[in-house]
Amino acid sequence: MKENRKYLLGAAAVLVVWLGLALFAWFGPKQEVSVSERRKLDQMPALTAENVLSGSFMTDFESYSLDQFPLRDQFRQLKALFHYYCLGQKDNNGIYIAGGYAAKVEYPLDEKSVNYAVSRFQNVYDTYLKDSGSKIYVTMAPDKGFYLAQANGYPAMDYAAMEEKITSGLPWASYVDVTPYLSGTDYYRTDTHWRQERLLPAAGALCRALGVPEPKEGDYTPTAVEKPFYGVYYGQAALPMEPETIYYLQSDLLRDCTVFNYENNKKTQVYDLDKLDSRDLYDVFLSGAAALLTIENPNADTDRELIVFRDSFGSSMVPLLVQGYKTVTVVDIRYLMSSYLGNFIDFHGQDVLFLYSSLILNSSSTLK
Amino acid sequence: MLFSSVPFLFYFAVATALAYFLVALLTPRHMLPRNAVLLLSSLFFYGWGEPKYLALMVFSILAFYGYGLAISFSKSKKVKKLWLILSVVTGVALLGVFKYADFFVSSFNAATGLAVPLLHLALPIGISFYTFQCMSYVVDVYRGQVEAQKNPISFGAYVSFFPQLIAGPIVRYVDIAQELKERSTHASDLYLGLRRFLTGLAKKVLLANQFGELTALFRASGEKSLVFYWVYAIAFTLHIYFDFSGYSDMAIGLGRIFGFRFPENFNYPYLSKSVTEFWRRWHMTLGGWFRDYVYIPLGGNRVGKFRWVLNILAVWMLTGLWHGAAWNFVLWGLLFAALLLLEKWVPALQKLPKVLRHGYVLLAVVLSFVLFNANDMAQAGQDFAGLFGLAGLPLLSTQTVYYLQSYLVLFILGFVGATPLPRMLEQKLPEKVRAVLEPAGLIVLLLLCSGYLVDGSYNPFLYFRF
Repeated sequence: MKENRKYLLGAAAVLVVWLGLALFAWFGPKQEVSVSERRKLDQMPALTAENVLSGSFMTDFESYSLDQFPLRDQFRQLKALFHYYCLGQKDNNGIYIAGGYAAKVEYPLDEKSVNYAVSRFQNVYDTYLKDSGSKIYVTMAPDKGFYLAQANGYPAMDYAAMEEKITSGLPWASYVDVTPYLSGTDYYRTDTHWRQERLLPAAGALCRALGVPEPKEGDYTPTAVEKPFYGVYYGQAALPMEPETIYYLQSDLLRDCTVFNYENNKKTQVYDLDKLDSRDLYDVFLSGAAALLTIENPNADTDRELIVFRDSFGSSMVPLLVQGYKTVTVVDIRYLMSSYLGNFIDFHGQDVLFLYSSLILNSSSTLK
Repeated sequence: MLFSSVPFLFYFAVATALAYFLVALLTPRHMLPRNAVLLLSSLFFYGWGEPKYLALMVFSILAFYGYGLAISFSKSKKVKKLWLILSVVTGVALLGVFKYADFFVSSFNAATGLAVPLLHLALPIGISFYTFQCMSYVVDVYRGQVEAQKNPISFGAYVSFFPQLIAGPIVRYVDIAQELKERSTHASDLYLGLRRFLTGLAKKVLLANQFGELTALFRASGEKSLVFYWVYAIAFTLHIYFDFSGYSDMAIGLGRIFGFRFPENFNYPYLSKSVTEFWRRWHMTLGGWFRDYVYIPLGGNRVGKFRWVLNILAVWMLTGLWHGAAWNFVLWGLLFAALLLLEKWVPALQKLPKVLRHGYVLLAVVLSFVLFNANDMAQAGQDFAGLFGLAGLPLLSTQTVYYLQSYLVLFILGFVGATPLPRMLEQKLPEKVRAVLEPAGLIVLLLLCSGYLVDGSYNPFLYFRF
């Protein structure tokens, strides 16, 4: 009898939790989006004979059941904590935390990928720049791992080999090394990107190489975005981290600049405050991902022009280069085929800067 | 549908259990309504993964149900034998067409240089398990060991019963014939079934999947080393054990919740001190099936030495082929045949110190699983070259060190978890403490597994398609 009671109570305890979760999954409120993962969550798929017979209903239902699982974020965090701290795994979903900074295990160097990126840049050079008389520069924006990986016992990509591949592969460009002007703390804790308010020394190095005035700290006012910023690693790592504050360096010069977006024919400001309603607050810099932009600087006391081939790291760096130019054209050849560039840009001797992060160079298949 | 999936755990299993126990409450004296619930839910479970092969499942149920009845009603021994042969031909044909056709055709093409077209049929889930169960049922009816099941619903519930449908254990009809007629779920069955299921779920989700992830990382790595090859081989050995034994635990636990006692399938195989012992502890229901339905009918060891060797080779080649339609599986089976024969012919092996015997079994098992897990013979060759330093690789690499550090705790848990030590330690706790800690631990396991399932999609069962 006593034994029976023990079994009954034990089973009841387990079943209460199990059934509770099941009933919550069946009848609980459904969520539209996951803020931490910056994506829409799957909803209940349509039950049709066609969907069932093709098996798509089952696949979609599985995604729905995962996305709408009760206390989903808390369960993901529970897993992450157990994985990271109890099982002693050095990363969770490829993300590790060192000194409070979340970073991705970016290893090893993908030589094929770097070679492919170099070949895309070479193609741009051969097609548009060879005879244009442009001065051409290239820089690699290091990812956080450059500063954090080795120092914290994580495999570190061979950045020197990457740099060597770029410099030897692009002999027509002057390499600007910005790595001495940065450190791990110059990046967001929860995101891949660097913090604009910490970029002045690196931007200064670029400006010196380009031969334009360096940005001075006193010229800018760090302006905080009021909304909390959850970077891309926040969702991926699922580990408990505090949200951050994004600051953008505002100035009268930048306030007067206009940015023209060729995709939607819209004019915006350098810092697009409308993007503060978007899922990624980092989009405040040059409106986020965009194939082709032109920044007009009406206060420029020069006619010099600059073309920047860039990825998202460039979004926060380019505003700090604007003061030395009348026009800055910003191109992302992940979204615009380089063979179409001639339709939009007249290459006539502008300064040219290739600014790509080590993350993109090591995974460059999206470059067109 | 995998047991270790949110749709199974929080939708199907809960709905099926509610329906089953509601029906049991409404019709306490009748078993048929409960069997009907199990049949319907099992067909739903099967159709969820393979809607197009539901017809194959229904055909298997009806065909073998018919063979059983036909043998039962036949008066003549010859006619009974004819039905038996027909049932074996049906079973072998089903496996031949859906599992082995392309293997035989491609081997034939490779040997002759011809280009006979392949069928390219998707392998029906669990076909090896349920076909073996069907065939053993008819053989047992033929041998008079069990009465033929008269009710197609009860027979269908046996063949399609979802807990053991897709990855075993191989449950013989004779083992559960009585329970199909009469069974009940006591509080102890419910609790011990839940405990067994959740332990299996944790073995699968918290251990097997993590080791599986490491083997995937190894395969994807461009920076292999000699040590990394051995890390991979050991990780896969732990992966396959926790994956398969975890699944068996879940099946046995579910069976118990519904009032069935399934046979055990694993008994700490990595503690074995001979390969013979290993196969008495590993996938026990498959070994038993081949022993009773192939080895003994072939004459077993009551034949001449040459014929006996042939019997052993035939059984182990079939065991290899049962695991997969590829030459590496055939070789895998034959490797064990060779080791078993060696142990029989060299009794001195059994006199070696325990440590050496244990080490020899572990080495043999680890190497055998490298062969088992290779995509083809070429990859198996590469893997063995890597393991024995013939691939020109460095001893260590940055990645090897990183993964060794990262998976150290998991390896320790894996090594300990493959022994009875955790169970023994738990038994040492005072009864009152255990009464509280055990359910609490099971709840924690359920929550942790849920967290892993919600977070990740890496979850395939190794034995899913056998």
